[in-house]
This record gives sequence, structure tokens and C-alpha cells, in this order.
Amino acid sequence: MATACGRCQGALDPEDLRCALCGLAVLEGELPARAPDAARAEIVRCVTCGAAMAYDARVQAPACAFCASVTRSERVDDPMEQASHALAFTVGPERAREVLRAWLSGRGIFAPADLATNATVDHLRPLWWPAWIFSALADVWWTADSDHGAHRSAWAPQNGRAAMRFEHLLVSASRGLSYEECARLAPGYDLQRAAPAEALLSATPPGGVVERFDVQRSAARRRILDALTSMAGAEVGARYVPGSRVRNVRVSLLLQSLTTRRFALPAYVLAYRYEGRLYRAVVHGQDERVVLGESPTSVWRVLGVVAAVLLAVVLIAWIVSLAGG
Amino acid sequence: MQLPSTARTAVCPYCAAPAIVERPRGAASVDPAFTMGFVFEAPRASELVRRWARAQGFFREPGVRLAKVEDLRGVYLPAYLYSAVARSRYSALIGEDYTETETYTTTDAQGKTETRTRTVTRTEHRPLQGEHAAYVADVLVTASRALGNAELEAVEPFDLRAIRRYDPSLVVGWIAEDPSMTAAECFELARREAVEKVGASLHGFMPGDSHRDLVHETWLEQESLDLVLVPVWVLALRYREDRGLLRVLVNGQTGRVAGAVPWSRLRIALAVAAALLAVAAVVAAVLLLEPA
Repeated sequence: MATACGRCQGALDPEDLRCALCGLAVLEGELPARAPDAARAEIVRCVTCGAAMAYDARVQAPACAFCASVTRSERVDDPMEQASHALAFTVGPERAREVLRAWLSGRGIFAPADLATNATVDHLRPLWWPAWIFSALADVWWTADSDHGAHRSAWAPQNGRAAMRFEHLLVSASRGLSYEECARLAPGYDLQRAAPAEALLSATPPGGVVERFDVQRSAARRRILDALTSMAGAEVGARYVPGSRVRNVRVSLLLQSLTTRRFALPAYVLAYRYEGRLYRAVVHGQDERVVLGESPTSVWRVLGVVAAVLLAVVLIAWIVSLAGG
Repeated sequence: MQLPSTARTAVCPYCAAPAIVERPRGAASVDPAFTMGFVFEAPRASELVRRWARAQGFFREPGVRLAKVEDLRGVYLPAYLYSAVARSRYSALIGEDYTETETYTTTDAQGKTETRTRTVTRTEHRPLQGEHAAYVADVLVTASRALGNAELEAVEPFDLRAIRRYDPSLVVGWIAEDPSMTAAECFELARREAVEKVGASLHGFMPGDSHRDLVHETWLEQESLDLVLVPVWVLALRYREDRGLLRVLVNGQTGRVAGAVPWSRLRIALAVAAALLAVAAVVAAVLLLEPA
């Protein structure tokens, strides 16, 4: 069960020894161990052979020199993150193929004319990509330069303080999808309909992949705090600094509350082949209007457009010279 | 068995069994909250010290490069880990640059004065007062009188993500010390370091192209101070027969090596003499070659 840090309200888990955000120590729940009555030496004994044990730097645990048994009494202090919630695919794989075809046929005038008909989908893989969704209430102190109240210089220093609420913000933990791809996929998800991850992800469709969080929990919290700081900076620049031009926005914040949920979000990753080359595309798992990817450009079409433009320019110049003459 | 008053671990002189010393809980004895384990053994530490010694500059005591690296001891050093919320009030003069075109007069090769223009960058200073608040985490200060804070700082940082709840079995077989400084003294040290950290981050917090006269007043709230045992390899290096020992520390986690290697007075004196000689030679040559 998660509880909150007494200082910054960041989430704490039972394994945490210190808050990853503000460094407050988590005290042991039990009463302090009974103090001995007099000084005495206590020997730590190996449970296997009874010999005295010592901490071994090679295995980073107490080890017995006689029977080489290692005591693993400590828990994993900083576990890998795992998704707690997941969203189901509402776009089926067949529909995803159709959506891709429709997208290929609408690639604009530079795309080859036969792209939609001659491209073949090589493979389609349902993917759950990892992301943190967090809500936070933060007290933000900021400084910046803006043109408001400027004298001789175009800039004047400003500062202030603001309380900010961030709701359901998404920070990607995916390595397979780029930052831009995640940012464009994010708005299409219906987070209200999240289900517990275990039940949903155990019924993975054939060929489906669940991308794992590849960061430690403490590192994840730091990353969230960094994301929060940069979002607060953007918010300050857009809404709080007086004046029309802003630069050098700096923020420092204290958290009032922070809740984080780890999500697995659905998307299809497709590879299609056109004239022997492979191209990658991503179809949103819940909102079929969102398709991202790369597509080939037709050299002939580009040359044709350039030639047409040149012709038009020459034509206009000729008409102008005629009119002038 | 007689033990030094700050020892936390011991080895039985009869059977060589490593042991933990437990004492009646009093003012002097506080159980550590956390510890960080050693991640490499003595041979690796000696190798790191040897490499560090070889990399010393020409003007350092040459004996250090040749000194024997032996009797390296792994010590769990007591230190306090401090964190707090820091609230500050600051004031500074913020410099905002602007450019101006100014006219100036100059004399050309023919001796005529002419007026020209040029663009110069000037700075307008404007006062700014305000507040700032931030978390100060991960301030580590020594709790041992035997090893000063500056020495510990030289081998910092430690990877605090590898921290573990203190358990006697994690330090048994190694030298572990009890704090010899009081918590109040360490609190003072840590607060000073925390305020310095805030001061440094305030410099980064200031807007403008430059700033000056930054002063701040900082209050530390919701402080916490926890005793940790940090892994350090300690080594005494004898680099000259007529001098004291040089203490070298190796971070038991990251392998960072530090020690205050003295300057070699002889080498500096020789270098200065050589430089003076060279200057004298050049002056003499110029004087001799100059046509009378």
C-alpha cells in the first residue's frame, strides 16, 4: 500500500527507505530494538554451517568464508516499476490495417500514386507502451525576464509565486516510441476506463508485446519531478509572466500532493513494405484518427511539381514583361 | 576484550571471528539508520590508488608516485545524511544588457581628427527581491573527528540509491566506527552546507544577462538527520622517510580517490631557478648582440 511522504507528499512504497524527491528518511515501523544492558560482542553466524560470517564486497551481502553461503536478508530496495493500470484496445487489428490503408491513400501530392494499393503490411504488432500518469498540486516560485516595465534594455526582471494544479499528465517511459510519437498518442486515451494491468495484460493477443518500465522507482520519481518542473516553467512562461515577450524562465517548486499511476497504453506498431523498402507506422489503439509514421515520396512527383512552379513563374514573368512593353 | 570506545565491530583475538559490538544505549551510542555496502575489494582499491598516485603532477612530491600501497583498510565511516525544506528571501541587482550607438573621435594616419560611430553593449542594473523555496536532499557530513568533512567531500558523491537499512550483518568483518562528533555539531555542519547549496542554486535562479550583489536569508524547515555508515578504503602512504604519513581515501562505492598530496618545494625551486636562468640568458644575449 502506498503512503505519502511527511514532507513533500510524494508517494512512498513499503520498500522505500528514503523519499526519492526530498530525501526524508522513512523510519522503521516497529518499535526500536531493545537496547542491551551491557556492552557485549555478538557474532553473526552462518545458518548453514554455523561459522562466523562477514560482509563480502564481491556479493554485496554477508557471506560465510567456509561454506560460501550468502545471506540475502535485505529486500530489493529499489524495484523496477511495473504497470498498475492498463487500457484495452478498442480498435481491432483488422481495423488498424484498414486505417493504415486509408492513411496511406491520403499522404498528399508528393506520395506515390500507387502507395495505398501497392504497399503491403509486413507485420502488425499490438504494443502496450509504459507511461506514468500523475496529478500534482505544487507551490511554484519563479523568475523571468520580460518586456513588461522595460526601460533602456528590452528586458526587465520579473518574479512571483503561483499555486499550480496538474491533472492526468502523461510522462512517457517508452524506449520503443519516440518522445514526439508519445506526445501525439497521449490525448487519444480514455483514462477513465483503465483496468488493473494484471488481468488485462495476461490476455495479451497473439504477437502482442508489453514494453516494460526500464527504470528504477527512485529514478522514475526524479524524472517525474523533472517533468513537473519543466511543465511548471512552460505554464509560468505562458500565463504568469506579465508582458508579451518572455525569456529566462526559472522555477523552483514544493509539492503539496503528488499521485502517480503507472499505465500500459495500447497502440499498434506496423511495418509496411513499398518497392522493397520497409516503413514504420503507429496506429492508436483507441482512437483510429491518430496514425503516425513515415511514408515514401515520389521523386517524379516532386520534380513534376517543381517544373510546374518554374513554368508558372516563367509564364507570369512573360505576361508581366508583355504588359510592361 | 578491550575495545576502542568508538569501535562498532571487532575481531576475536582467539578465533578471528568477526563480531558486532553492542553497547548500552546512551548519549554516545546511536544506531545507524542506513548503510551502503562496499562494492569492490582491497586489490581493486590498491589498483585505483596506484593509478591515482602515478597520475600526480610534476610539481607534487615525487615520493608519492613510488610509495608502496599497503595496509589498505575498509572502514565504514559514520556520517549524517541531512535533508530539509529551504525557504529563502533574496535580493539582487539584475543586469539586463542593451546596445547603444555612440560617436567618438579618432585621429587617422594623416593626423586629422574624424568622428565615427560604434555599437556598444551596456548593462542596466535593476533591483529584484523575492522568495524561493526548494527541497535540499542528500547533504552528507562526517560524524567522525578522525576524518574531517573536507576529506569526505573529496570522495563524494555516494550513490544514495544503493542505500540499505542498517543491519549489523552488513558491516560485520569490517572496521565500523561509532560517531565521535555529537549530532548537534553535525547538524551545524549540515545546515551550513545546505545553506551553501541554496546559495549556489539561487545564482542559477536569477534572471537577466548577469547579476550582482545577491544576498539571501534562508530558513530550513522540516529538517531530518540520519546516521549512515559510508564505505571508505583508508590508506596511509609513506612518501618520504622524514615526513608524516599521507592519508588517502577511496570511495568504496564509486572508486573515487582523494588525498592532499603536498607540493614538492625542491622541484618548484628548481623550476623557478631554471626559468630565472632562461630569462637571464635571454637578457644577456640581447645585451651582447645589441650594437654598441
